[in-house]
Amino acid sequence: MAKARALDKRRKSIKNIRKITRTMELIATARFKQAMDRAGAATAYTERITALVSDLAESGLELSHPLLQGRETTKNATVLVLSANRGLCGGYNGNVLRAGNERFGELQRSGANVRLEVSGKRGISYFKFRSIPMSESYTHFEDKPRFEEVELLANRYLEAYAAGELDRLDVVYTRFLNVSRQIATVETLLPLASLALSTPEGAKSAKKEPDARGKPSNRRSATYEFLPSAQAILEEVVPASFRLKLFKCFLDAAVSEQIARMVAMKSATENADDIIHHLAMSYNRARQSQITGELLEVMGGVEALKN
Amino acid sequence: MVKQPLEDGVDVTSPDGVLEVMVVTPEATVLKTPAQFVALPLYDGEIGIAPGRAPMIGRLGFGELRLREGDRTVRYYVDGGFVEVSSNFVSVLTSRAIPAEKLDPAVAEELLAAARLKPTGTPELMDLRDRQVTAARAQLRVARRAKAAH
Repeated sequence: MAKARALDKRRKSIKNIRKITRTMELIATARFKQAMDRAGAATAYTERITALVSDLAESGLELSHPLLQGRETTKNATVLVLSANRGLCGGYNGNVLRAGNERFGELQRSGANVRLEVSGKRGISYFKFRSIPMSESYTHFEDKPRFEEVELLANRYLEAYAAGELDRLDVVYTRFLNVSRQIATVETLLPLASLALSTPEGAKSAKKEPDARGKPSNRRSATYEFLPSAQAILEEVVPASFRLKLFKCFLDAAVSEQIARMVAMKSATENADDIIHHLAMSYNRARQSQITGELLEVMGGVEALKN
Repeated sequence: MVKQPLEDGVDVTSPDGVLEVMVVTPEATVLKTPAQFVALPLYDGEIGIAPGRAPMIGRLGFGELRLREGDRTVRYYVDGGFVEVSSNFVSVLTSRAIPAEKLDPAVAEELLAAARLKPTGTPELMDLRDRQVTAARAQLRVARRAKAAH
C-alpha cells in the first residue's frame, strides 16, 4: 500500500503547485497587458519628439550637444542594471545579470572607475552574493515605473555628466522586440549615440497615427519659427530625449519581465499537467498490482486450506 | 459664420479654423481634442495660438495651458517641454500635465516652501533651486486660478 499512497500524495502536491503556477500565469498575463498599454502610451511622446528632432535637423541646424559627444577617456562609468524584484520568471533575471556582470568586468578591466547601480531585489542579491559593491540599489521600480521616478534618476545622471563626474552610462535591461522576442541588452545612454528613438515593432503597429491631420508631406516642408532659437531648443531636446530613453528602458524591462513570467509559468503549468498524468497512471498501476497481489495471496491461502 | 471673440476679447476666428491639440507626456496621451484657441506658457511668457498660426517650435516653461473649445475652457498645469505648431496641429510635449482642478493650493505651497529650502551652495544647485521654485510658484498660481474659477 505504501507505494500507491506515496504516489497519490505526490500527485496531490503537484496539483496544488499547478494551481499556483496557473494563477501566476493569469496574473502575469493581466500585468503584461497593462505594462504593454503603458509602453504603447509612451510611443506618442516618442513619435512627437522624433518628429521634433527631424524638424530641427531640417532647419539646417548642426546637431551638436555635449551629451552627444563622447569623452576621450572614460574615467568614471556607471552601469545600471534593471532586474526584477521577484523570481519565477525563467531566464529573465539570469540573462540580464549575466550581461550586466560582463559589462561591469569589461569596464573595470579597461581601468575605469566603475559604479554599479542595480534595480530589483534579484539583482541586488546576485551582486551581494558575488560581493561586488553597489553604489545604489532600487527596489521601488515595480511593473509600473513612473516617469517622475525615472526622471529623478535621469536628472542625477545628467548633472553628473555635466559636472564631469560621469563619462559613460551603460544600462543593462531586457529589450522588448515583440511579444515573442526579448533580449538582454547593454545600451550606452551617455554619451547619447543618436537622437533617433527606436520603437518596438509591437508598439509601433498598436499606435500608427503619427499625424492626426494626415498631411505629413505638408508638414515636412514647413519652415518653423523657433522660440527662443533652434539652438536653445536643441539644448532642451537632447536631455529630454535622454530622459525618455531611460524611461523606455524601464518600460521595456517591465513588459519583458511580465512576458518572461507568463511564459515560464505557462510551461510550468503544462509540465505539472504532464506529471499529474504520469503519476495518475503509475498510481493506478501500483494499485492494480497491489490488488492482484492480494488476490493471489488469498487464492494461495484457500488452496493451502483445501489440502 | 458668426465671429466670436476667442479669448478675452481677441477676435481671431479664421474661416476654417479649428486647432487640433494633442498633449503628450512620456506616460500617456493626456489630451487630444479640437480647440479654437490655446494659450501656453513659453519659457519667457505666455503665447496664444489661434488657428492659422505659422509653424513654430517653442520651448515651454512652467504654467497654465488654457484651451478654449466652444464655451468650455480647459486648464492644465504643464511642466516644461516643447510645443510644435504646424498646419493647425498643436502638439505639446511635456513631462507632466495635470488638470488644474486636481491641483491643490496647499500642496503647491508646501512644494514651494520645500523648494525654497533647497541648498544653494554651487551655481548648479542654485539653478536647480531656481527651477524648482519657479515650477512650484507656477503650480501654485494655476491651482489658485482654478480654485477661483470654480
